[in-house]
Amino acid sequence: MPHLSRRTALRLTAGMALGAALPLAGCGREDDAAATSGAKKVDTSPATGTVNVWAAQGDADVLGKVLTPFKAANPDLAVQTTLIPNAEYYTKLQAAVAAGKGPDLAQFFPESQAQFLDSSTLLPVPDDLVDPGRFFKSLWDAGVVNDVAYTVPWYAYTYALVYRSDLAKKAGVEAPTTWAGMEPFLKGLQSAGAAHALGADIGWDIFNGQDVAMYAWQAGGSLVTSDSKWNLDTPQMIDALDYNASFFTAGTADTGGPTFLDAQPYFVSGRTASMITGPWVIGQLDTAAKKSGWTASHVATAPLSAGASSSVSFSAGGTWGVLADSGNPDAAWKLVRHLAEPTTQVAQYKAYGSLPAVVSAWGDPVIKGQPLLDAFFTQLKNTRAFPQVGTWQQVATRLGKEMEAVAKGKQTAAKAAAAIQAYAESVGTGRK
Amino acid sequence: MTTTAVPATERTRAVPRTAAPRASRGRRTAVAWLFLAPFGVVFLVYTAIPTVAALALSLTDIRGADLRTPFAVDFTGIDNYLRLFQDDTFVRDILNTALFVVVGVPLTMGAGFALALVLNSGVSRLRGAFRTVFFAPVVTNVVAVALIWQYAFHVDGTVDKLLGAVGFAGPNWLDDPDLAMPVVILLGVWRNFGTAMVLFLAGLQAVPRDVYEAAALDGAGRWRQLRHITLPLLMPTTLMVSVLLTVFYLQVFDEPYLLTGGGPLGSTESVALYTYRQFGAGEFGMSSAASFVTLALVTVVSVVQFRLLRSRT
Repeated sequence: MPHLSRRTALRLTAGMALGAALPLAGCGREDDAAATSGAKKVDTSPATGTVNVWAAQGDADVLGKVLTPFKAANPDLAVQTTLIPNAEYYTKLQAAVAAGKGPDLAQFFPESQAQFLDSSTLLPVPDDLVDPGRFFKSLWDAGVVNDVAYTVPWYAYTYALVYRSDLAKKAGVEAPTTWAGMEPFLKGLQSAGAAHALGADIGWDIFNGQDVAMYAWQAGGSLVTSDSKWNLDTPQMIDALDYNASFFTAGTADTGGPTFLDAQPYFVSGRTASMITGPWVIGQLDTAAKKSGWTASHVATAPLSAGASSSVSFSAGGTWGVLADSGNPDAAWKLVRHLAEPTTQVAQYKAYGSLPAVVSAWGDPVIKGQPLLDAFFTQLKNTRAFPQVGTWQQVATRLGKEMEAVAKGKQTAAKAAAAIQAYAESVGTGRK
Repeated sequence: MTTTAVPATERTRAVPRTAAPRASRGRRTAVAWLFLAPFGVVFLVYTAIPTVAALALSLTDIRGADLRTPFAVDFTGIDNYLRLFQDDTFVRDILNTALFVVVGVPLTMGAGFALALVLNSGVSRLRGAFRTVFFAPVVTNVVAVALIWQYAFHVDGTVDKLLGAVGFAGPNWLDDPDLAMPVVILLGVWRNFGTAMVLFLAGLQAVPRDVYEAAALDGAGRWRQLRHITLPLLMPTTLMVSVLLTVFYLQVFDEPYLLTGGGPLGSTESVALYTYRQFGAGEFGMSSAASFVTLALVTVVSVVQFRLLRSRT
């Protein structure tokens, strides 16, 4: 659960630091100056000077190795990488940015980076640096505010249906393609022995909120209107809440478990038989089963099933942004350009298993040769970015809590949708 | 006695006599301040200024996006406080916290006092060993403990297995809105009764033996000795333990955060957890306001406790 604690710990120290200085000066908001796109071009000459890079521990652990060719091609450049534990990453970055002591280049998470997308924090991506069409569209979109792009995608993941192929075969069911097909499919898995077919997320936090938002998209809804107002009290949102709750009311999922840490053991033991989750589980299930080759013979994947409108999912992963305070933006952008190359992204996959954000990199045999990743590739091409609104995380967290009440029958979906809209309006959209 | 009656010589001599101590007193005060300075600076920088700053924050609409320009925010008066009390979850969290205090403090004190009595009079040989064992929960890492409790109270965890052995179908404690809070309170009591016990034990050992001997001679039994000697003489200790525990429990955070995350359905979310969540969401104004509500609660409850119990000490 690395992302969870990172988010909850967000900005704690930064707030303390500035809090001490607040009463010393007058207050009052100023009008925001509009950012303009099209910063100056980045040429192809070797990068020089020093680039300070901050990244979260995890996918960036292998950065030194992945960047070896780049360092060889740019001998006059010093890349200094600082890895920060996931849980404290945004906190430390926010504090550093507030103090004007941030790095030149920083990693972000596309699903939770909205609060950084501002010309006072990040430089706009130079027009000709990379072709936006190279990436999964939603990952690029996750860095765009008012037509200005601030981040460049690095790695990607999304959710798909991961299920026990052996149990499905025994029950004679195939992965569903529509919401309506989910229940017969899950009931089939239960007839083949699973106690509860779906190991549903029962954290009732931001991740549940993201799931519900995704279901609302699948039902044809939108989360914000075209003029950036919250649009959550909709028939589609009610459908989404009801759909997610239906797993629990139909008995195909249990509000009592498995909890996050139990998800894989339950799946391996057959107590559950499916998960809606990210591609990392593919690489972890052999460990959970304590048997190499188990995954290949017991697991299948499928894209998510479609609601009334589509089977769209959300995208997540990592991105890069150059800070507005950077003293060496030219070299930082050159580094970003290198990280966004298909070959670099394949090298990153080989070193750590981070799936490429560049579509063409998925054609490389090391990725193409893994049939279980096909569903994730199909799904990634069918993803959308969460609203580029600073308060989205807050709203998604609250949405997860409302989902709990609906799943446990304490609240109707209609009332939950009205409640989440009222809450979202009370916190606003975070833009001044 | 009037000044005119004092001879001139006396008066002139009186001047240096009083001036000398005044000068040395001034120097002594300066030295005292010098010794106090390290604490004063630390207190000022790490307690006083942040407190004032937090109070100022609670009166503005500052949020995460304002970090770069913390002074460019609007003064909104008591808006944040109004929003807090309009938020159903905050009101619910106050009630949760109140429940934690009202049930948790007496239980903790009761357990601590009972064990202190047993250790003070009943057990003599292994007193040190027992004291260490009972104090162990206080010094144990709560993160590890909460993880174990999570498994113990899981749907087929240790507790349910024990219940099953005697023929009861165990519930899923931490997923039941009515049962989660009792478990959270139990963890709080388990963690803190050791502190209460040690304080009560110290108090008990300070009660003079001869008072009991006199009472025994007058025919007072154990129960009457406890009621009329031990309890009244322990009142200062009781006051201190109750104030300490109440202040601590009003800010309860670890137990619900680690055991239930505030759930299920928010039934164990405390005010401190609410404050933390607001902070995490970048709602600095709201979370500062929430912490000042906690401060107000702590102050009011402590003053009331002192008033109620002081008259009897």
